[in-house]
Amino acid sequence: MMNARIPILKLYDTLIVSIQWELDDRTAIQFQEDLMAKLHETSATGVVIDLTSIDFIDSFIAKVLGDVIQMSRLMGAQVVITGIQPAVAITLIELGIRLEQVLTALDLENGLEKLHEELEG
Amino acid sequence: MPNEIVEGLKTYKEEIMKAWMERMKETEEEHFFHYMPEHLIEKTSREFTDLMLSNIESSTGVDVDKSIDFASKIVHFGWSIKFVNKAVDSFSTVSFEFLEKEGIIHAGNLRTFFDLFMNWIEPLRESIIDSYSAEWERTVNLQRVALQELSASLIPVFDKISVMPLVGTIDTERAKLIMENLLEGVVEQRAEVVLLDITGVPVVDTMVAHHLIQAADAVRLVGSQCLLVGIRPEIAQTLVTLGVDLSEFMTTSTLQRGMKEALQMTNRKVVEVEKHDER
Repeated sequence: MMNARIPILKLYDTLIVSIQWELDDRTAIQFQEDLMAKLHETSATGVVIDLTSIDFIDSFIAKVLGDVIQMSRLMGAQVVITGIQPAVAITLIELGIRLEQVLTALDLENGLEKLHEELEG
Repeated sequence: MPNEIVEGLKTYKEEIMKAWMERMKETEEEHFFHYMPEHLIEKTSREFTDLMLSNIESSTGVDVDKSIDFASKIVHFGWSIKFVNKAVDSFSTVSFEFLEKEGIIHAGNLRTFFDLFMNWIEPLRESIIDSYSAEWERTVNLQRVALQELSASLIPVFDKISVMPLVGTIDTERAKLIMENLLEGVVEQRAEVVLLDITGVPVVDTMVAHHLIQAADAVRLVGSQCLLVGIRPEIAQTLVTLGVDLSEFMTTSTLQRGMKEALQMTNRKVVEVEKHDER
Protein backbone atom coordinates (compact mmCIF):
# COMPACT_ATOMS: atom_id res chain seq x y z
CA MET A 1 0.00 0.00 0.00
CA MET A 2 2.90 2.33 0.71
CA ASN A 3 3.53 3.44 -2.85
CA ALA A 4 -0.01 3.17 -4.04
CA ARG A 5 -1.30 6.25 -5.75
CA ILE A 6 -4.77 7.54 -5.28
CA PRO A 7 -6.75 7.06 -8.49
CA ILE A 8 -8.20 10.22 -10.02
CA LEU A 9 -11.17 9.60 -12.29
CA LYS A 10 -12.50 11.97 -14.88
CA LEU A 11 -16.23 12.23 -15.44
CA TYR A 12 -17.09 14.84 -18.10
CA ASP A 13 -15.87 18.13 -16.65
CA THR A 14 -15.32 16.78 -13.17
CA LEU A 15 -12.50 14.91 -11.50
CA ILE A 16 -13.57 12.39 -8.89
CA VAL A 17 -11.25 11.24 -6.15
CA SER A 18 -12.19 8.72 -3.52
CA ILE A 19 -9.72 8.38 -0.68
CA GLN A 20 -10.13 4.87 0.67
CA TRP A 21 -7.46 4.54 3.35
CA GLU A 22 -5.58 6.69 5.83
CA LEU A 23 -3.07 8.79 3.92
CA ASP A 24 0.54 8.94 4.98
CA ASP A 25 2.47 12.13 4.37
CA ARG A 26 4.18 10.97 1.17
CA THR A 27 1.03 9.67 -0.43
CA ALA A 28 -0.67 12.94 0.40
CA ILE A 29 2.00 14.99 -1.33
CA GLN A 30 1.97 12.59 -4.26
CA PHE A 31 -1.78 13.01 -4.48
CA GLN A 32 -1.43 16.77 -4.49
CA GLU A 33 1.01 16.63 -7.43
CA ASP A 34 -1.07 14.09 -9.33
CA LEU A 35 -4.23 16.11 -8.95
CA MET A 36 -2.60 19.32 -10.18
CA ALA A 37 -1.12 17.51 -13.15
CA LYS A 38 -4.49 15.98 -13.97
CA LEU A 39 -6.25 19.32 -13.65
CA HIS A 40 -3.77 20.86 -16.05
CA GLU A 41 -4.09 17.98 -18.46
CA THR A 42 -7.89 17.81 -18.54
CA SER A 43 -8.80 21.41 -17.68
CA ALA A 44 -11.65 20.12 -15.55
CA THR A 45 -13.88 22.70 -13.84
CA GLY A 46 -14.79 20.71 -10.77
CA VAL A 47 -13.21 18.31 -8.31
CA VAL A 48 -15.03 16.04 -5.88
CA ILE A 49 -13.00 14.54 -3.07
CA ASP A 50 -14.81 11.80 -1.18
CA LEU A 51 -13.69 11.06 2.38
CA THR A 52 -16.41 8.59 3.38
CA SER A 53 -13.98 5.84 4.38
CA ILE A 54 -11.66 8.10 6.36
CA ASP A 55 -12.26 7.88 10.12
CA PHE A 56 -9.21 9.75 11.23
CA ILE A 57 -7.28 12.77 9.99
CA ASP A 58 -4.12 14.42 11.30
CA SER A 59 -3.08 18.04 11.05
CA PHE A 60 -0.66 17.49 8.17
CA ILE A 61 -3.22 15.73 5.99
CA ALA A 62 -5.73 18.43 6.87
CA LYS A 63 -3.26 21.07 5.76
CA VAL A 64 -2.55 19.25 2.50
CA LEU A 65 -6.28 19.04 1.93
CA GLY A 66 -6.65 22.78 2.51
CA ASP A 67 -3.73 23.45 0.15
CA VAL A 68 -5.16 21.22 -2.56
CA ILE A 69 -8.42 23.11 -2.36
CA GLN A 70 -6.71 26.47 -2.77
CA MET A 71 -4.46 25.24 -5.55
CA SER A 72 -7.40 23.81 -7.46
CA ARG A 73 -9.19 27.11 -7.17
CA LEU A 74 -6.13 28.86 -8.56
CA MET A 75 -6.28 26.51 -11.49
CA GLY A 76 -9.91 27.37 -12.03
CA ALA A 77 -11.65 24.36 -10.53
CA GLN A 78 -14.28 24.30 -7.80
CA VAL A 79 -13.76 21.67 -5.09
CA VAL A 80 -16.45 19.81 -3.20
CA ILE A 81 -15.57 17.61 -0.26
CA THR A 82 -18.05 14.86 0.46
CA GLY A 83 -18.71 12.36 3.21
CA ILE A 84 -16.67 13.88 6.03
CA GLN A 85 -17.31 11.63 9.03
CA PRO A 86 -18.47 13.17 12.34
CA ALA A 87 -15.22 12.23 14.09
CA VAL A 88 -13.18 13.82 11.31
CA ALA A 89 -15.28 16.99 11.43
CA ILE A 90 -14.73 17.25 15.19
CA THR A 91 -10.98 16.76 14.77
CA LEU A 92 -10.81 19.44 12.09
CA ILE A 93 -12.74 21.91 14.22
CA GLU A 94 -10.55 21.16 17.22
CA LEU A 95 -7.44 21.71 15.10
CA GLY A 96 -8.90 25.05 14.09
CA ILE A 97 -9.14 24.08 10.44
CA ARG A 98 -12.44 25.45 9.23
CA LEU A 99 -12.10 24.95 5.45
CA GLU A 100 -14.13 28.08 5.11
CA GLN A 101 -14.76 28.60 1.43
CA VAL A 102 -15.11 24.94 0.60
CA LEU A 103 -18.28 23.32 -0.56
CA THR A 104 -19.21 20.24 1.41
CA ALA A 105 -21.84 17.60 0.84
CA LEU A 106 -23.19 14.53 2.59
CA ASP A 107 -22.28 12.08 -0.18
CA LEU A 108 -20.97 11.86 -3.73
CA GLU A 109 -24.39 12.25 -5.33
CA ASN A 110 -25.18 15.29 -3.25
CA GLY A 111 -21.73 16.68 -3.96
CA LEU A 112 -22.09 16.41 -7.71
CA GLU A 113 -25.46 18.17 -7.49
CA LYS A 114 -23.97 21.01 -5.50
CA LEU A 115 -21.06 21.30 -7.89
CA HIS A 116 -23.40 21.59 -10.86
CA GLU A 117 -25.47 24.23 -9.12
CA GLU A 118 -22.32 26.17 -8.31
CA LEU A 119 -20.88 25.95 -11.80
CA GLU A 120 -24.11 26.72 -13.64
CA GLY A 121 -25.77 29.17 -11.29
CA MET B 1 -18.41 -11.90 71.43
CA PRO B 2 -19.28 -13.69 74.68
CA ASN B 3 -22.01 -16.25 74.45
CA GLU B 4 -24.44 -14.79 76.89
CA ILE B 5 -24.80 -11.58 74.89
CA VAL B 6 -25.28 -13.42 71.60
CA GLU B 7 -27.80 -15.73 73.25
CA GLY B 8 -29.50 -12.81 74.91
CA LEU B 9 -29.82 -10.86 71.69
CA LYS B 10 -31.10 -13.89 69.84
CA THR B 11 -33.63 -14.76 72.50
CA TYR B 12 -35.02 -11.26 72.72
CA LYS B 13 -34.82 -10.56 69.02
CA GLU B 14 -38.59 -10.22 68.63
CA GLU B 15 -38.97 -8.06 71.69
CA ILE B 16 -36.07 -5.87 70.71
CA MET B 17 -37.55 -5.42 67.27
CA LYS B 18 -40.96 -4.49 68.67
CA ALA B 19 -39.44 -2.01 71.09
CA TRP B 20 -37.30 -0.55 68.37
CA MET B 21 -40.27 -0.11 66.07
CA GLU B 22 -42.20 1.62 68.84
CA ARG B 23 -39.32 3.96 69.40
CA MET B 24 -38.92 4.76 65.73
CA LYS B 25 -42.62 5.55 65.45
CA GLU B 26 -42.24 8.08 68.21
CA THR B 27 -39.55 9.91 66.27
CA GLU B 28 -41.01 13.32 65.72
CA GLU B 29 -39.27 14.89 62.78
CA GLU B 30 -39.27 11.96 60.38
CA HIS B 31 -42.58 10.47 59.36
CA PHE B 32 -41.42 7.54 57.30
CA PHE B 33 -43.12 5.06 59.57
CA HIS B 34 -46.43 6.86 59.40
CA TYR B 35 -47.19 6.66 55.73
CA MET B 36 -45.75 3.21 55.06
CA PRO B 37 -48.19 0.30 55.13
CA GLU B 38 -47.99 -1.83 58.27
CA HIS B 39 -46.81 -5.04 56.65
CA LEU B 40 -44.03 -3.19 54.86
CA ILE B 41 -42.82 -1.68 58.12
CA GLU B 42 -42.87 -5.12 59.65
CA LYS B 43 -40.91 -6.63 56.77
CA THR B 44 -38.36 -3.85 56.59
CA SER B 45 -37.87 -3.87 60.35
CA ARG B 46 -37.31 -7.60 60.31
CA GLU B 47 -34.77 -7.24 57.57
CA PHE B 48 -33.08 -4.47 59.48
CA THR B 49 -33.00 -6.55 62.64
CA ASP B 50 -31.57 -9.52 60.76
CA LEU B 51 -28.94 -7.30 59.27
CA MET B 52 -28.10 -5.84 62.66
CA LEU B 53 -27.75 -9.28 64.20
CA SER B 54 -25.95 -10.81 61.21
CA ASN B 55 -22.47 -10.13 62.49
CA ILE B 56 -22.74 -10.79 66.19
CA GLU B 57 -21.87 -14.44 65.91
CA SER B 58 -19.21 -14.42 63.30
CA SER B 59 -16.05 -12.42 63.44
CA THR B 60 -16.10 -11.98 59.67
CA GLY B 61 -17.71 -8.58 59.89
CA VAL B 62 -20.74 -7.18 58.16
CA ASP B 63 -22.38 -8.98 55.27
CA VAL B 64 -21.75 -6.43 52.50
CA ASP B 65 -24.24 -7.88 50.03
CA LYS B 66 -26.98 -7.79 52.60
CA SER B 67 -26.28 -4.24 53.62
CA ILE B 68 -26.18 -3.05 49.98
CA ASP B 69 -29.43 -4.86 49.35
CA PHE B 70 -31.00 -3.20 52.35
CA ALA B 71 -29.62 0.21 51.47
CA SER B 72 -31.01 0.09 47.94
CA LYS B 73 -34.39 -0.73 49.42
CA ILE B 74 -34.42 2.16 51.86
CA VAL B 75 -33.14 4.61 49.24
CA HIS B 76 -36.08 3.46 47.17
CA PHE B 77 -38.43 4.12 50.10
CA GLY B 78 -36.97 7.59 50.40
CA TRP B 79 -35.68 7.27 53.95
CA SER B 80 -33.17 9.93 54.79
CA ILE B 81 -29.68 9.08 55.93
CA LYS B 82 -30.38 10.88 59.18
CA PHE B 83 -33.27 8.55 59.83
CA VAL B 84 -31.14 5.51 59.07
CA ASN B 85 -28.47 6.71 61.44
CA LYS B 86 -31.07 7.24 64.09
CA ALA B 87 -32.42 3.74 63.47
CA VAL B 88 -29.01 2.23 64.17
CA ASP B 89 -28.71 4.37 67.28
CA SER B 90 -32.02 3.42 68.76
CA PHE B 91 -31.47 -0.20 67.88
CA SER B 92 -28.31 -0.29 69.91
CA THR B 93 -29.97 1.56 72.77
CA VAL B 94 -32.93 -0.77 72.76
CA SER B 95 -30.79 -3.90 72.76
CA PHE B 96 -28.62 -2.52 75.48
CA GLU B 97 -31.64 -1.79 77.63
CA PHE B 98 -32.97 -5.29 77.10
CA LEU B 99 -29.70 -6.94 78.01
CA GLU B 100 -29.49 -4.77 81.07
CA LYS B 101 -33.04 -5.56 82.12
CA GLU B 102 -32.43 -9.27 81.78
CA GLY B 103 -29.37 -8.96 83.94
CA ILE B 104 -26.91 -10.13 81.30
CA ILE B 105 -25.15 -6.81 81.54
CA HIS B 106 -24.62 -5.42 85.01
CA ALA B 107 -22.44 -2.87 86.73
CA GLY B 108 -19.59 -5.35 87.10
CA ASN B 109 -18.99 -6.20 83.45
CA LEU B 110 -20.28 -2.99 81.91
CA ARG B 111 -16.84 -1.78 80.92
CA THR B 112 -15.94 -4.96 78.95
CA PHE B 113 -19.32 -5.16 77.31
CA PHE B 114 -19.24 -1.55 76.35
CA ASP B 115 -16.19 -2.15 74.14
CA LEU B 116 -17.70 -5.26 72.66
CA PHE B 117 -20.89 -3.41 72.00
CA MET B 118 -19.10 -0.64 70.18
CA ASN B 119 -17.19 -3.17 68.09
CA TRP B 120 -20.49 -4.65 67.07
CA ILE B 121 -22.45 -1.50 66.29
CA GLU B 122 -19.84 0.74 64.70
CA PRO B 123 -18.86 -1.44 61.72
CA LEU B 124 -22.55 -1.99 61.10
CA ARG B 125 -23.27 1.71 61.08
CA GLU B 126 -20.35 2.40 58.77
CA SER B 127 -21.34 -0.36 56.42
CA ILE B 128 -24.97 0.74 56.25
CA ILE B 129 -24.12 4.38 55.70
CA ASP B 130 -21.51 3.38 53.13
CA SER B 131 -24.00 1.29 51.21
CA TYR B 132 -26.56 4.02 51.51
CA SER B 133 -24.32 6.68 50.02
CA ALA B 134 -23.06 4.32 47.30
CA GLU B 135 -26.65 3.53 46.39
CA TRP B 136 -27.53 7.20 46.38
CA GLU B 137 -24.59 8.00 44.12
CA ARG B 138 -25.63 5.25 41.75
CA THR B 139 -29.13 6.70 41.52
CA VAL B 140 -27.76 10.16 40.79
CA ASN B 141 -25.49 8.75 38.11
CA LEU B 142 -28.33 6.89 36.48
CA GLN B 143 -30.36 10.05 36.41
CA ARG B 144 -27.51 11.97 34.88
CA VAL B 145 -27.16 9.41 32.11
CA ALA B 146 -30.88 9.51 31.50
CA LEU B 147 -30.80 13.28 31.38
CA GLN B 148 -27.92 13.24 28.94
CA GLU B 149 -29.75 10.93 26.64
CA LEU B 150 -32.74 13.22 26.69
CA SER B 151 -30.73 16.37 26.40
CA ALA B 152 -29.65 16.37 22.79
CA SER B 153 -31.67 14.44 20.27
CA LEU B 154 -31.88 15.26 16.60
CA ILE B 155 -35.40 14.91 15.30
CA PRO B 156 -36.09 14.44 11.60
CA VAL B 157 -39.03 16.69 10.75
CA PHE B 158 -39.15 16.71 6.99
CA ASP B 159 -37.13 14.90 4.40
CA LYS B 160 -33.69 16.59 4.54
CA ILE B 161 -34.65 18.81 7.48
CA SER B 162 -33.96 17.96 11.13
CA VAL B 163 -34.37 19.89 14.35
CA MET B 164 -32.38 19.73 17.56
CA PRO B 165 -34.20 21.46 20.40
CA LEU B 166 -31.85 22.48 23.19
CA VAL B 167 -33.25 22.95 26.68
CA GLY B 168 -31.25 23.93 29.73
CA THR B 169 -27.79 25.24 30.42
CA ILE B 170 -25.00 24.28 28.06
CA ASP B 171 -21.62 23.51 29.59
CA THR B 172 -18.51 22.19 27.89
CA GLU B 173 -19.39 18.57 28.53
CA ARG B 174 -22.87 18.96 27.17
CA ALA B 175 -21.62 20.97 24.20
CA LYS B 176 -19.44 18.03 23.25
CA LEU B 177 -22.38 15.68 23.49
CA ILE B 178 -24.50 18.04 21.42
CA MET B 179 -21.84 18.20 18.74
CA GLU B 180 -21.47 14.42 18.59
CA ASN B 181 -25.20 13.74 18.47
CA LEU B 182 -25.68 16.49 15.93
CA LEU B 183 -23.06 15.19 13.53
CA GLU B 184 -24.01 11.53 13.90
CA GLY B 185 -27.64 12.47 13.38
CA VAL B 186 -26.96 14.59 10.32
CA VAL B 187 -25.02 11.82 8.62
CA GLU B 188 -27.51 9.17 9.62
CA GLN B 189 -30.65 11.09 8.70
CA ARG B 190 -29.09 12.63 5.60
CA ALA B 191 -30.26 16.03 6.73
CA GLU B 192 -29.28 18.89 4.46
CA VAL B 193 -30.49 21.57 6.84
CA VAL B 194 -30.36 21.36 10.64
CA LEU B 195 -32.22 23.75 12.90
CA LEU B 196 -30.58 24.29 16.24
CA ASP B 197 -33.31 25.61 18.52
CA ILE B 198 -32.02 27.51 21.55
CA THR B 199 -35.39 28.75 22.82
CA GLY B 200 -34.92 26.73 26.00
CA VAL B 201 -31.36 27.79 26.72
CA PRO B 202 -31.53 30.31 29.57
CA VAL B 203 -28.11 31.92 29.15
CA VAL B 204 -26.06 32.30 26.00
CA ASP B 205 -22.66 33.75 26.85
CA THR B 206 -19.40 33.86 24.93
CA MET B 207 -18.60 30.26 25.80
CA VAL B 208 -21.97 28.88 24.73
CA ALA B 209 -21.83 30.94 21.54
CA HIS B 210 -18.38 29.57 20.84
CA HIS B 211 -19.65 26.02 21.22
CA LEU B 212 -22.57 26.73 18.94
CA ILE B 213 -20.31 28.24 16.29
CA GLN B 214 -18.06 25.18 16.47
CA ALA B 215 -21.04 22.87 16.12
CA ALA B 216 -22.30 24.81 13.11
CA ASP B 217 -18.84 24.70 11.51
CA ALA B 218 -18.62 20.97 12.02
CA VAL B 219 -22.08 20.54 10.52
CA ARG B 220 -20.92 22.48 7.47
CA LEU B 221 -17.93 20.18 7.14
CA VAL B 222 -20.01 17.04 7.01
CA GLY B 223 -21.94 18.63 4.18
CA SER B 224 -25.03 20.11 5.73
CA GLN B 225 -26.17 23.54 6.82
CA CYS B 226 -26.96 24.77 10.30
CA LEU B 227 -29.57 27.35 11.22
CA LEU B 228 -29.66 28.86 14.66
CA VAL B 229 -33.25 29.49 15.65
CA GLY B 230 -35.14 30.61 18.73
CA ILE B 231 -33.05 33.67 19.50
CA ARG B 232 -34.96 35.54 22.16
CA PRO B 233 -34.68 39.33 22.43
CA GLU B 234 -32.55 39.21 25.57
CA ILE B 235 -30.21 36.71 23.95
CA ALA B 236 -29.79 38.94 20.91
CA GLN B 237 -28.98 41.82 23.24
CA THR B 238 -26.45 39.81 25.26
CA LEU B 239 -24.73 38.48 22.16
CA VAL B 240 -24.27 41.91 20.63
CA THR B 241 -23.18 43.42 23.94
CA LEU B 242 -20.62 40.65 24.37
CA GLY B 243 -19.40 41.25 20.85
CA VAL B 244 -20.08 37.71 19.66
CA ASP B 245 -20.00 37.53 15.89
CA LEU B 246 -22.67 35.25 14.53
CA SER B 247 -22.74 36.80 11.08
CA GLU B 248 -21.63 33.58 9.40
CA PHE B 249 -24.60 31.87 10.90
CA MET B 250 -28.09 32.01 9.56
CA THR B 251 -30.26 32.94 12.49
CA THR B 252 -33.98 33.48 12.99
CA SER B 253 -36.04 34.46 15.97
CA THR B 254 -38.41 31.50 16.00
CA LEU B 255 -38.37 27.88 14.98
CA GLN B 256 -41.35 28.58 12.75
CA ARG B 257 -39.49 31.13 10.66
CA GLY B 258 -36.42 28.95 10.65
CA MET B 259 -38.46 26.08 9.24
CA LYS B 260 -39.76 28.30 6.45
CA GLU B 261 -36.20 29.27 5.66
CA ALA B 262 -35.08 25.65 5.70
CA LEU B 263 -37.84 24.63 3.32
CA GLN B 264 -36.80 27.41 0.99
CA MET B 265 -33.19 26.24 1.12
CA THR B 266 -34.28 22.79 0.03
CA ASN B 267 -36.50 24.29 -2.69
CA ARG B 268 -39.80 23.53 -1.09
CA LYS B 269 -42.64 25.43 0.52
CA VAL B 270 -45.77 24.79 2.48
CA VAL B 271 -49.00 25.63 0.69
CA GLU B 272 -52.54 25.64 1.91
CA VAL B 273 -54.90 23.30 0.14
CA GLU B 274 -58.49 24.14 -0.53
CA LYS B 275 -60.90 22.61 1.89
CA HIS B 276 -63.53 20.34 0.42
CA ASP B 277 -66.77 20.82 2.23
CA GLU B 278 -68.96 17.77 2.22
CA ARG B 279 -72.26 19.49 2.01
